[in-house]
Amino acid sequence: MLCSTVREILTNTEKNYGPEDAIRYKKGKNEIESKTYTQLKEDSESFSCILRDLGEQGHHIAVIGMTSYEWLVTYFGTVNSGSVIVPLDVNLPAEDVCDLISRSDSTILVYDDVRKDVAAIAKERCPQLKYMISMQQAEHDEHALSFRKALEEHRGAFDFLPAPDQLCTIMFTSGTTGKSKGVMLTHRNVAENATCLDMKIPARTVVMTVLPIHHAYCLSMDILKGISLASIICINDSLMRVAKNIKLFKPEMILMVPLMIETMAKKLEEASLLPAKLVKSQVFGKQFHTICSGGAYLDPAYIDLFSKYDITIQQGYGMTECAPVISATQKWNIRKEAVGQLLPNCEAKTVDGELWVKGSSVMQGYYKMPEETAETLEDGWLKTGDLGYVDDEGFVYLTGRKKNLIITKNGENVSPEELENALSTNRLVGEVLVRENNGVIEAEIYPDQDYVKKKKIKDTREKLQEVIDEYNRTAAPQKKIYSLIVRDTEFEKTTTRKIKRF
Amino acid sequence: MFERLVNIICNYVEAEPENIRPESRFMEDLGFTSFDFMSMLGEIEDEFDIEVEQTEAVNIRTVQEAVDYLEKLASDN
Repeated sequence: MLCSTVREILTNTEKNYGPEDAIRYKKGKNEIESKTYTQLKEDSESFSCILRDLGEQGHHIAVIGMTSYEWLVTYFGTVNSGSVIVPLDVNLPAEDVCDLISRSDSTILVYDDVRKDVAAIAKERCPQLKYMISMQQAEHDEHALSFRKALEEHRGAFDFLPAPDQLCTIMFTSGTTGKSKGVMLTHRNVAENATCLDMKIPARTVVMTVLPIHHAYCLSMDILKGISLASIICINDSLMRVAKNIKLFKPEMILMVPLMIETMAKKLEEASLLPAKLVKSQVFGKQFHTICSGGAYLDPAYIDLFSKYDITIQQGYGMTECAPVISATQKWNIRKEAVGQLLPNCEAKTVDGELWVKGSSVMQGYYKMPEETAETLEDGWLKTGDLGYVDDEGFVYLTGRKKNLIITKNGENVSPEELENALSTNRLVGEVLVRENNGVIEAEIYPDQDYVKKKKIKDTREKLQEVIDEYNRTAAPQKKIYSLIVRDTEFEKTTTRKIKRF
Repeated sequence: MFERLVNIICNYVEAEPENIRPESRFMEDLGFTSFDFMSMLGEIEDEFDIEVEQTEAVNIRTVQEAVDYLEKLASDN
């Protein structure tokens, strides 16, 4: 059912599934604790009461922490009271976090104790901050309010209807280049993105959330879509324990980024001599059937590999600026080379090779960055920065990033991603970055260490040069690679696991 | 401790046990991705019945550093 505010998503499901589990999480090593839809609604309403009583309703509320029930209560309590949530990356250095708190004009910081360091310096660095709320602290003190205590003290119902076009969140892009920008999204942007596509996922499906919670993809697809479908959302407490938590929570679906899918693929391949059914049930459990992939390019070969184990990989594509999903794959309509079909609330066109999209999920702009906003939005169209096109059936095909585009000396455009994907098909190539250097196209490669060892390759550089020569043999003249750098370390990545380009 | 760790490492990368040395670096020499490494820490928790602190564990670069860290955890237990 299409919802136009986040509040509708939660209240609709609570009406029908109130006493059923909404959130499950670990308590101690192997115990599971859960909260029902009614508890989630009531606790978030009490959180709204806290904001109202502190005189902060309608203001910007920053939150930082691992995925937790408290984080989710903060999220719903904030946005459902007409306030604006500012989710921050738990892995950012404290100085950067303070910069984002200031730039977003947040007046409250709700923090997980894993980021006590932020709380310690934020009071001085962010003079506009009026209150700090600790998710774990048992009592109020001079530094921070206790989340749990405040929730009990301000317990009550909160009847407020946010307008669909009211600002709901400012989400900072983790961007592989430049300064991160605060993407302004309304309730409609966010809620319609999560609910406009019927994926025929039955109610009470068990999902496990493993991606960072400040990430738009995780928030929209795991949390908001999950809640709209009355799913049981299980919280993975650490990336260290994905395999163990799969056994504990027995999820049917997981949203992942390609890096995780690659590790899982190794686990499957390791046992490839055993019957596929047995391997699947040991690694994922019998009940498991779907991985949704997003956040970066996924080699379509993984789709085939997982299908052998009766696991469907559904690719999607999006960006925070579009709340974030632009296209998604339906289980019954998979095209390996495409990144899914446009969502029903989205239209697209190609302008000079670049994909532009329009629809109810396109952001309002970047917070306090009018120039960057004007560069990105034009008459309601969002310039995605991606090179690609949409076919007659709405399937989206991507060919590269516009800003990474290499313009050769004779004016021809070369998309580095296209070359990177071509080189990546060779097993020796672990990670690769293609760019222009002094007028020639250069590839920097981190060899796949497993493969080097397995094949006992002595001269990696020589072998990689052979890979390049082989590629060059059939490549168009402007796409030939004339310089090779071999790395002995992985590339530096952003917190969402994308290679930093600059 | 070292031998047990080597056995676990071999589940993640196709290295020969005899080629894994204390000074081997997980990512650079053994070919771990960051997510492989995190997954292995989870397995270590089970195998050694300890609780790994993620914030401390991310600083581990070599096999010897991992052994030192695990021995410290085991002796604290």
